Amino acid sequence: MTGSNFQAPADLSRFRNISLGAGILAVVLLVVMAVSPENREQALRSWLLGFNFWGGIAIGCLGVTMLQYVTGGAWAIVIRRTVEAGSRTLPLVTILVIPILVFLGSLYEWHHLYGTDKIVTERGWFQTGAGFITRTIVYFVIFNVMQVMLNRWSAAQDQTSNYEDSAKFLGSATAFSGPGIVIFALTVSFAAIDWTMSLDPHWFSTIWGFLYIVGWALSCFCFAVVILAYLSDKEPMKSVLGRRHFHDIGKLMLALVMVWTYFNLSQFLIIWSGNIPEETPWYLDRMKNGWGVVGFLLILFHFAFPFIILLSRDVKRNARWLAIMAVFILVMRAIDMLYHIGPSPLVDGSKLGFQISWMDFAALIGIGGFWLWAFFTQLMKRPLVPVMDPFLDNAIEHGKGH
Amino acid sequence: MDNKIYGLMAEFDSPTELVDAARKVRDAGYRKTDAFTPFPLHEIDEALGIRRSILPYLVFGGGILGCLAGLGLQFYTHVIEYPINVGGRPHFSLPAFIPPSYEMTILFAAFTAVFGMLFLNGLPSPYHPVFNVERFSLAMREKFFLLIESEDEKFDYDETKGFMKTLNAQEVFDVED
Repeated sequence: MTGSNFQAPADLSRFRNISLGAGILAVVLLVVMAVSPENREQALRSWLLGFNFWGGIAIGCLGVTMLQYVTGGAWAIVIRRTVEAGSRTLPLVTILVIPILVFLGSLYEWHHLYGTDKIVTERGWFQTGAGFITRTIVYFVIFNVMQVMLNRWSAAQDQTSNYEDSAKFLGSATAFSGPGIVIFALTVSFAAIDWTMSLDPHWFSTIWGFLYIVGWALSCFCFAVVILAYLSDKEPMKSVLGRRHFHDIGKLMLALVMVWTYFNLSQFLIIWSGNIPEETPWYLDRMKNGWGVVGFLLILFHFAFPFIILLSRDVKRNARWLAIMAVFILVMRAIDMLYHIGPSPLVDGSKLGFQISWMDFAALIGIGGFWLWAFFTQLMKRPLVPVMDPFLDNAIEHGKGH
Repeated sequence: MDNKIYGLMAEFDSPTELVDAARKVRDAGYRKTDAFTPFPLHEIDEALGIRRSILPYLVFGGGILGCLAGLGLQFYTHVIEYPINVGGRPHFSLPAFIPPSYEMTILFAAFTAVFGMLFLNGLPSPYHPVFNVERFSLAMREKFFLLIESEDEKFDYDETKGFMKTLNAQEVFDVED
């Protein structure tokens, strides 16, 4: 495919500026609020929410980058540059985690339970501030090394002049991705346990890591669909993306919506049938007052509604409809994160009951603004499709099919 | 013309030729047509004007039926026929009933898909006239075939055969019934 360099349309830079503006505004607001000690804890919890939502998309993008190398297929070629751009925002996500590491004591109850609480003390170094910080640094080193390697091969592939050379880079990325996914899954598991599960110092769930792997992959696919649907209206992607590409990605969205439900039900069913005091409080807090309503809404709108809609072939083949559905699921993803974080005990062990702070919105907008700015900056740096990929022409042809 | 004719079949070398010919056949007004290719060819549905199958709706119905059957079976056994107190939980314990109901949904949906597909395709069919054409076995390997049935309202042996010869076919065969 010569004659076109597949550069991103220039009007993306408009989004970049809007995102950055909104990001700066909301983050400044949040920081000003966090100066006063009585708001600090809520500001940090909101920050954790925004970090989990947007950072989760970035981490999901890294996972999907490896996934698409391993599986191959037409959807893999057309989604690659979008998820790669998402994975290249991981240095920013690394910076975003710093407030959490600095103010650990104002966010996690276990931080001051070490030495007094038997269970937390028994966990030893694992449940200390030093342990948490060390592990988080390790997670981000792993994520960033993976991201840099994969993006380097992909960039080198663009510079090749024949398919034999480009296939070598494709081979390297694919060989790296297989074991990479295993390491990635373990890393995300540990990260999810540290970042959100430990908010409740005594509660545990063995499927927690998978909830995040699946949830973040779903976030990533939904985000990518929105971007691709926008790009599909204009050149160069107009002549690349076809109905069948959206159909394929829509199927993956449907599958992940179902897996998310499956893992959540597994967790609930086991705790419900076990009915023991170590496990049930987490759900008891989330089944009464407003949180019970939120939980019910999650079943209805994070599962039932998207499931029924995404069953339809016509929806999956229509870029606009699929993008609307994707935005809807992304909103539910944020609510799902809030459902994990919001009802957790405060650092003094007390419980808030049902409350949604305006700082939650400020953090989602603020971190989202910065993150989107980084994403669009990265997306515009490279061609929107891997121009020298040996399978590019096949992938484009596939999308045009009936 | 002693033998009864099932239809006429044209042989093509490439999928593009087949699709072009199929469009012409449809434009000429033939409706009882069929195409045979060595691999799935998505364009042919549109070219021949084949309507979308009702199978997805049947499968959806089968799934709903399975879900209700699963829930109903558990409700009947655990609440009506043989209620047992399990750890003080209610007889109608919805969380515990979800996995079996889900399995039944999948089971019924899968059965509907398989048997519905067989039924809608008229399978199993031990005899089919198209196999009377010797070269038809190539449809599994490298050739593309287009069939117009004699049942078609517009079918007239000489006229249709003349028409099919204008389609750039390799050859046009009579398919004996």
